[in-house]
Amino acid sequence: MNKQLGFLHNSEKCVGCRGCEMACKNLYQTDISQRWRQVFQIDENAYPLPSRMFISIGCNHCSEPQCMKVCPVGAYTKRDDGIVIHDDNRCIGCRLCVMACPYGRPQFNSVINIVQKCNLCYQRVDKGEKPACVASCVAGALELVQINSSLDAKTGVLKTLPGLPSPSITNPSIRFVGPKQGKQVRRD
Amino acid sequence: MMKISRRQFLGATAAVTAGAGLFSFEMLTKLDPASAAADNSETKQFRNVCPRNCYDTCGQISFVQDGMLKKVDGDPKHGYTNGRLCVKGYTYTRRVYSPDRIKYPMKQMPRGSGNWTRISWDEAMDTIAKKILDLKKRYGSTLPICFDKYSGNFGILHYAADGTMSSIGYTTRAVGTPCWPAGIDAQTYDFGTLYNNDPEDMVNTKYLILWGQNLAWTAIHSLPFAQKARENGAKLVVIDPILTSTASKADLYIQIKPSTDGALALGMARYILDNNWVDWDYARANSVGFDEWIDYLKNNVTLDWAASKTGVPKEIIMEIAREYATSKPASMWVGYGMQRHTNGGQNVRIIDALGVMTGNVGKSGGGVNYGQLETWGFNYGAMSYSAPKGSRGIVGANGKEGDRSININNFAHDVMAQQDPPVKMLWLACRNPGGQDPDTHAIEKMFASMEFVVSVDSFFNKTVQMSDIVLPATTHFENWDVNASYWHYWIGINEMAIQPMYESKSDLEIAMLLSKKMNALEAGSCTYPTSGSEQEWLAKEFNAALNASLGISNYKELSNGPRKVKMPPAAWSDGKFRTPSKKIEIHSNQAEKNGLPALPIWVEEMKAPEKYPVRLMTPHPQLGLHSQFQNLDWMMAANPEPKLEIHPNLAAKYGIQEGDKVKVFNDLGDITLKAHLTRTTSENVVVSYEAWYNKSNYNVNYTVKAIPSDMGKQATGNNGLAFHDNFVDLQKV
Repeated sequence: MNKQLGFLHNSEKCVGCRGCEMACKNLYQTDISQRWRQVFQIDENAYPLPSRMFISIGCNHCSEPQCMKVCPVGAYTKRDDGIVIHDDNRCIGCRLCVMACPYGRPQFNSVINIVQKCNLCYQRVDKGEKPACVASCVAGALELVQINSSLDAKTGVLKTLPGLPSPSITNPSIRFVGPKQGKQVRRD
Repeated sequence: MMKISRRQFLGATAAVTAGAGLFSFEMLTKLDPASAAADNSETKQFRNVCPRNCYDTCGQISFVQDGMLKKVDGDPKHGYTNGRLCVKGYTYTRRVYSPDRIKYPMKQMPRGSGNWTRISWDEAMDTIAKKILDLKKRYGSTLPICFDKYSGNFGILHYAADGTMSSIGYTTRAVGTPCWPAGIDAQTYDFGTLYNNDPEDMVNTKYLILWGQNLAWTAIHSLPFAQKARENGAKLVVIDPILTSTASKADLYIQIKPSTDGALALGMARYILDNNWVDWDYARANSVGFDEWIDYLKNNVTLDWAASKTGVPKEIIMEIAREYATSKPASMWVGYGMQRHTNGGQNVRIIDALGVMTGNVGKSGGGVNYGQLETWGFNYGAMSYSAPKGSRGIVGANGKEGDRSININNFAHDVMAQQDPPVKMLWLACRNPGGQDPDTHAIEKMFASMEFVVSVDSFFNKTVQMSDIVLPATTHFENWDVNASYWHYWIGINEMAIQPMYESKSDLEIAMLLSKKMNALEAGSCTYPTSGSEQEWLAKEFNAALNASLGISNYKELSNGPRKVKMPPAAWSDGKFRTPSKKIEIHSNQAEKNGLPALPIWVEEMKAPEKYPVRLMTPHPQLGLHSQFQNLDWMMAANPEPKLEIHPNLAAKYGIQEGDKVKVFNDLGDITLKAHLTRTTSENVVVSYEAWYNKSNYNVNYTVKAIPSDMGKQATGNNGLAFHDNFVDLQKV
């Protein structure tokens, strides 16, 4: 595989506005059970100063997708560009993938009894457009990037942030810029 | 969490009128995402504007297929919101197609029972019109009818609700604004009115102080402009008792003691004076009373005092004073939260003076920015109708009869206090006092004392629950309108993208319908026109000056994209202030006449009473706007219940741990909610964001007293509310 598309999330820029989360739902009009993209707050004690810090995560389109490995009906495929696609029409709703994914990204939809997940807006990507989450990000904190060694060599690019599962499990196609903390004048 | 099966849905809407389509959320859901992204030539696009009470007032594009709203995106032609929406704006399909929407006129018998019956529009209008005529006959005037409208929809055609009232006679009116009047008056005393720089001009600043302003939650589209300024080297300082999402991004965050902002500004001013960083030329040429205030600083203000008052160390006051005074230009954005105190307006006046003393007023990249109404130059034709001949009202100062004004910020009390004649009927439009007014118990009592209550709304919120008749309101996708912002300078048209759902109607249509019924029952009893399409009404809202400022000759040109009002990027850059003296009034005789200090001097903040030592702050939520949005299913999934943000040190004192249920109470009432321990709040401040959760009676206002803020009377008719001077005690449940 030559290419691996993925996300670069910049926690220094992200203000946790959750626009990406709802822009995804707006485009696909998903059921309430589906949060393909989700903004998580980082534990405020994880850094020297307490503050509101965030991670935005969709499907990580992992190099070693556990969802795909456990799926008994071949509902998952990985494209040449690295996007992991879930085929809703093949899915039997057995939920093995839900259990296998350490990030909780495939999610069971009890209205239609199948699992659904973020397919990285591949139809938009194929047309040269940005995924809905990236396009909606007012802060410019979310980018669609090629995950490769030159990205990893850049200063400040991290493979994980506090609270996330070890990247060694699935080799996720997401990178981060960590939160930056300014000076705080506190009264406690 | 609600679940909508197709069967339930059909059951609930078995009797929709012809033309209103049957709907279920599944019809919107795309099982195959490919269909979502696929080009479809049948998709029609319309221009809309989000009409909520919000700085950003976003330009929107609605995507409609077969008459159904499929999604809503930002309008890329809007230069401030730039093609993106906020978290709330992306949920609009859930509002439009919510199964909880009020679908047709309904009556509740008895009031408050939840026993609602569908009625026809004709029956609704007949009942309402007869009640109005009956009250008029019994009391000799329409003054027993009280009208309360505010910010549920700021569309210009929604002023038709005001027009409804004007056209039936003289009525009792809730006057004022709950949100921001203290700051408005502060800027009115100082500059003549409120007038902020173009927010897009923020990119030019070298130093940015967000003073009690949390743009990450309440004005997200200003973020890129602030970011750009920072990329160019500007420092970002956030002053706030709460370490907000915005404050978390600051170069310097200052956790000030609530309500002491003026003391901090005075300390800064003293240090600026001591170091002679004062722009004497600007201040003396453009203001009156400046040297008098300088004397006050010399005689009354020390850095030690400011430090002890605010909890901000002296070195920090010195640091920001030096940086603010010497970085040219430097900008301040004063948020609305910081003026919701008993000394809130005075604190804004002091901050204004700080801007003047450093010559930052009237400068691109500068300003003491609060809000503006410069771009709102419409005709307001929809509201401009006079009372029928022979109507009796209250004799005003001008000797003429007119409406009776009561205080919107003491609504429950003032309605009850009216005699001769008493208030007997309420009409509520774009307004939810049951959710948003202080002292919910008092509001409940007042509603219970009414003979008749009519509300116009989309959801069965607390106010509707206390009404006799509810009229179903359209969403902004279902009517025509035009909208301006109180922050940015853009104006956009709001096109009707889909037909009104069910039997919903706009305030304008309701005004015309009621007039028809009133006149049928008693000719000449209502002056409101009974015909005209919404587009015809819309056309009448424009005038030559407005068109010229937008560079258009016809309002229809706005269908090609929103337009920005042509104004200089810096407010007051012409130096033509609108005070009586035509200068900045550091010494304001007007303020003095209203019983306030003439000068921007320190006024003591409200202290916590012994019995209730903890301050409960109830700022705006992230996933809602007052009682809107948080009730929608997507929001409930993202944020299912309210939390009490409490500092671990304070929690320890009460034996409270993460997730414990806590009763928050004072002599007015109580609320119970789960604790979230966090050091983002101050030790003696607990925080719960005001919101209406679906199927929940949770309401922070059960504990909030109707304490007035210090200002608001001059420009808005009544003082504001000191929402954040609310003191409580806690108890682990």
